[in-house]
Amino acid sequence: MKKKILIIDDDPAVVDYLTTLFEDNGYAACSAMTAQDGLKRAQKERPDLITLDLELPDEWGPRFYRKLSSDKELKNTPVIVISGLSGNKYAVSKAVASLSKPFDRDELLKIVKENV
Amino acid sequence: MSRTILIIDQDMELTEALAVYLERRRFDVHLADSADMALKMINDLDPEIILADPNIPDPDNIAALQQIKSLKPKIQFIIYTLPDTFEKAMELFQSKAFDYIKKPVSSIELDLSLKKAGKWIALEKKIERNSKKIKDLKNAQALFQQLFDEVPCYITVQDKNFRITATNRLFKKDFGHEIGEFCYKIYKHRTTPCTDCPVAATFKDGRRHQTEEVVTSKSGEQYHVLTWTAAIRDEAGQITQVMEMATNITQIRQLQDHLTSLGLMLGSMSHGIKGMLTGLDGGIYLLETGINRQDPKRTHRAFHQIHVMVERIRKMILDILYFTKSRELEYREIELKKMIRSITDIVQPSASHHNIELKVTTPPASVCIEVDPDWFRSAMVNFLENAVDACSSDTTKDKHHILLNIFLKGTDHVCFEITDNGLGMDRETREKMFTLFFSSKGSKGTGLGLFIANHVIRQHGGTIAVESEVKTGSRFEISIPRTRPIKIL
Repeated sequence: MKKKILIIDDDPAVVDYLTTLFEDNGYAACSAMTAQDGLKRAQKERPDLITLDLELPDEWGPRFYRKLSSDKELKNTPVIVISGLSGNKYAVSKAVASLSKPFDRDELLKIVKENV
Repeated sequence: MSRTILIIDQDMELTEALAVYLERRRFDVHLADSADMALKMINDLDPEIILADPNIPDPDNIAALQQIKSLKPKIQFIIYTLPDTFEKAMELFQSKAFDYIKKPVSSIELDLSLKKAGKWIALEKKIERNSKKIKDLKNAQALFQQLFDEVPCYITVQDKNFRITATNRLFKKDFGHEIGEFCYKIYKHRTTPCTDCPVAATFKDGRRHQTEEVVTSKSGEQYHVLTWTAAIRDEAGQITQVMEMATNITQIRQLQDHLTSLGLMLGSMSHGIKGMLTGLDGGIYLLETGINRQDPKRTHRAFHQIHVMVERIRKMILDILYFTKSRELEYREIELKKMIRSITDIVQPSASHHNIELKVTTPPASVCIEVDPDWFRSAMVNFLENAVDACSSDTTKDKHHILLNIFLKGTDHVCFEITDNGLGMDRETREKMFTLFFSSKGSKGTGLGLFIANHVIRQHGGTIAVESEVKTGSRFEISIPRTRPIKIL
């Protein structure tokens, strides 16, 4: 079965890009534009990996991550932060990687491959 | 120091006797046997007193004596003469001679006369010195007045009640000539003294105080000023008045504000730019893989994506350019319908893309308006694009529409009413939407669009009214004068 990736980003252009990129590389992808929706999706879809933007319209990325890790079933899901904010490395310290926009897609695919 | 005295008399025996007497009295005595001879001597000798027998029958001698007096008016003349010509001498010399003595000369008379002359000379010298001092003082005062007037600051001198007792030229130019008015009234149009007044502080402790204030000139302009105060003391050292010097730093402050916002803008913008670049990367990825796989659907999507991203980047760059360069409006007369068509041409594609109906109603008659077409268009496009965004982000309704209704208001205004049934705004968004860098659109917004649109409308002398309700939609009413306003603040 294909590994599933949940994309959380409020910019439709970025969501579209990541979805296509992951699907082209043999993953299944689903997406959410808000933190609230992202959490619901995660609980429903049980993704193998999550990419997370730090600035979401309803909530700040790190807070979303705290909510995610308080869910027993989800807390071990690897998270890759993909954000336009500089210095985002420290925002979610338990993230498996932090990439800043615009990111290198080969690097992203490599990190994804290592973590699912 | 001994006084120099010149004796003029034909009678050399008498003059020599007088000389001996006077030298004993510590005078520096010189002799001349005629006025002509004296005339030749006076320049080098420069005597203070001349003792002369005018030798009345000799008109040349008298004329020469009078010439000496007019050449050297400071020399004090003591005329001595025989009793029978005494009155004649007085007639001739009048008040030009200091004193008249009869021959034979009595020593006591001569002593007294010379003493008086000495006193007189000393007095005249003192007067001369003082009048020179007064003249210097006057010059200095004129110089200080000139400095006071020409200093490129606003200077006021104030009493304990903050009444202005003196002002310099620049102050008069920008704040008026009133003397005796209250500082707080002239500068700030207040009816009571300001809190934290530097003048009051200086009256209290005698030290200098510095503050930064915003003041309003008589023509209603606001200036940022940096004020310094200094105490003015009387002879006893008591502070009687305080001088306040205010330097206009408006330009510096404006520049600083501009730089600050520029920095803020670049900071807030870098995030947006990064998002756009990522979107552009996505478009390029789609294009690349679309071409490789010969997938026309994907290639088509790629073009759309790149198009949208390039538009967003273009708009952001134009916003930055607008912001970094404040420019004057370039007014042109343009037909209203033509202007509206050029606006809807830009907005129509994105409205259609999101399935939003754009309905436009215009006044039937042909109307011309005077605006800066480029900036006015970009402002209107901004409002309409916001309406498109408000509709496309709203998922609660099946059908969306934007109504652009243009109508004439009175004889001199034209109104652009934009109504949408999109997301609507809450109170906070409504109040903040025209402020710099406020955006309700997350990563899509830069916070510049409405700020600039608002600025452009105000530059045109126009107004914007907003009504909005969450989930129902928004209504903007933009009203501008049909012709260029006379003065724009």
